[in-house]
Amino acid sequence: MSNDAIFALLPLITLSTVILALMLLIAFRRNLALTCGAAVSGCILTLCSIFLVNNTGVPQQVTPLLVVDGYALIFSAMIVMVTGFICVLAYEYYKCRGEQQDEFYLLLLLSCLGGMTLAHSTHFASLILGLELLGVALYGLIAFPSRGRLSLEAGLKYLILSGVSSAFILFGVALLYASFGSLSFSALSAAASAGTNPLFVLVGTGLIFAGVSFKLSLVPFHMWTPDVYQGAPAPTTAFLTTASKGSIFAVILRFFISLDGYQYTTILEGLFWIALASILFGNLLALMQTNLKRLLANSSIAHLGYLLVAFLAASYVGGKALAVEAVIFFLLAYFLTSLGVFGVITLMSTDPDSPDNDELPQYQGLFWRRPIMAMFFSAMLLSLAGIPLTAGFVGKFYILTAAVQAELWVLLGAVVIGSGIGLFYYLRIIFVMTEQPSANDEITMPVVGGWAMATLTLIMLTLGIYPSPIINWVSEIARLMT
Amino acid sequence: MTEVVVIPMEHGLLLAAILFLIGLLGVMVRRNILLILMSLEIMLSACGLAFIVVGAHWGQADGQIMFMLILAIAAAEVSVGLGMLLQVHIRIGTLDIDLASRMRG
Repeated sequence: MSNDAIFALLPLITLSTVILALMLLIAFRRNLALTCGAAVSGCILTLCSIFLVNNTGVPQQVTPLLVVDGYALIFSAMIVMVTGFICVLAYEYYKCRGEQQDEFYLLLLLSCLGGMTLAHSTHFASLILGLELLGVALYGLIAFPSRGRLSLEAGLKYLILSGVSSAFILFGVALLYASFGSLSFSALSAAASAGTNPLFVLVGTGLIFAGVSFKLSLVPFHMWTPDVYQGAPAPTTAFLTTASKGSIFAVILRFFISLDGYQYTTILEGLFWIALASILFGNLLALMQTNLKRLLANSSIAHLGYLLVAFLAASYVGGKALAVEAVIFFLLAYFLTSLGVFGVITLMSTDPDSPDNDELPQYQGLFWRRPIMAMFFSAMLLSLAGIPLTAGFVGKFYILTAAVQAELWVLLGAVVIGSGIGLFYYLRIIFVMTEQPSANDEITMPVVGGWAMATLTLIMLTLGIYPSPIINWVSEIARLMT
Repeated sequence: MTEVVVIPMEHGLLLAAILFLIGLLGVMVRRNILLILMSLEIMLSACGLAFIVVGAHWGQADGQIMFMLILAIAAAEVSVGLGMLLQVHIRIGTLDIDLASRMRG
């Protein structure tokens, strides 16, 4: 491997080194503040190395397994950023939950490494490797606090379903391998036009999408989502809903563009129904929830449905660059917003003996009890609903633009209706927060986490008010990608 | 003279598909967590078999390498799964997934 190639892998190497160092650190000295500090500085170091690589040697194919290009790097940057924020937000959450919590950071960084591998991968072997690294670490993260019964149940459910979906993906890959004779994405595009067995390709791609839909919790594979979201500790849920889903979406988009899958109308039709059902069912199911985590789980189903609309919009000639741009920007906005929402739930749940504070009545009168936190929370919820001047608005606007350009009128209608329903249940949470508090229980707000929330809100609003620098960067990446 | 019998790739894939379905059925029907994990193993092994068959068809080592990757993955999944199974057994006192399940959905 040449020096250039090793340099291009610097972000992955940095993060791996940080993980090893963290493991040694935990072995010698257990101190949550120290571990958290090391993990956060590791994330910052990785972020720096990503920008360093981005300024010099891209795009570059490193071994048949990985490619380092703008697309991989921006997704890596987003994943690492999310991980860094979760490290900070989780500090006070785990600090009040007693000793021996350091491994959370180790698992979190391992999962982050898996997500980055996915963003870089151009080969099915690295795809599977990344997927499992992400997944297996997540099982541990979900079942992490060994006291909670709900989290154990959630972890077991996620493990079984994630294992099944991995098996689907693997079998699909085997069928694609049977028809193309190679496991690398680049061979797919070259051979796709030649005479391959169309049945194998169709069934294989279908199986891969079924497996991926499980992991992205798209209807009809969404049954596990509310349970796992509710049972998992809030910082883990934040990671699960953002980095985990985002990185899987990133790799599947790259795969589909390489396969030139848009020539298979059967697959597109299937994806159309999945998108439609996810948007409608996700939003309708969210209407009935009084548990915040279950509500957000259903709203994440709907958001992944919106994302799938942009994915489908790439099927039209000339629409690819805009669709990729829409996917990246929407995911960035969604990452920041979901992180903010789950961040508030994390910071609210400082009572070590009970599960997370995620029931809606617990948020009654938050504006009177904790005005600043309530303001952050409202800003994030408005962004999820897609109100102007927030990042969520720009993201949704992108989705609508892509859908209009690709003339996907039915899906466009579904997005509009879904957003309307969404507005209702997001605003309901805000109204509950403005009501007079029933009990005057004082919530102690963690200081470090509060600052992290302030930073997140600031970034989110900046993206909503002045998005052009990021838009220019993203559109450049999308142009090079397609 | 030994006669080399070549098994067509389709037959091998069919066998793998049948094994895969048996595993899937097991995951859906079984209520005991241990047996669910075993069914999951069958599914993953079926994928491994498919890779070996396809790799042999193309005369490449890739299929076998993927098989080894799958072995490692299956081992990792199941070891975490068994860890959780022990926890469920200790804390809830049953291995029946319906009895252990408290959240609806």
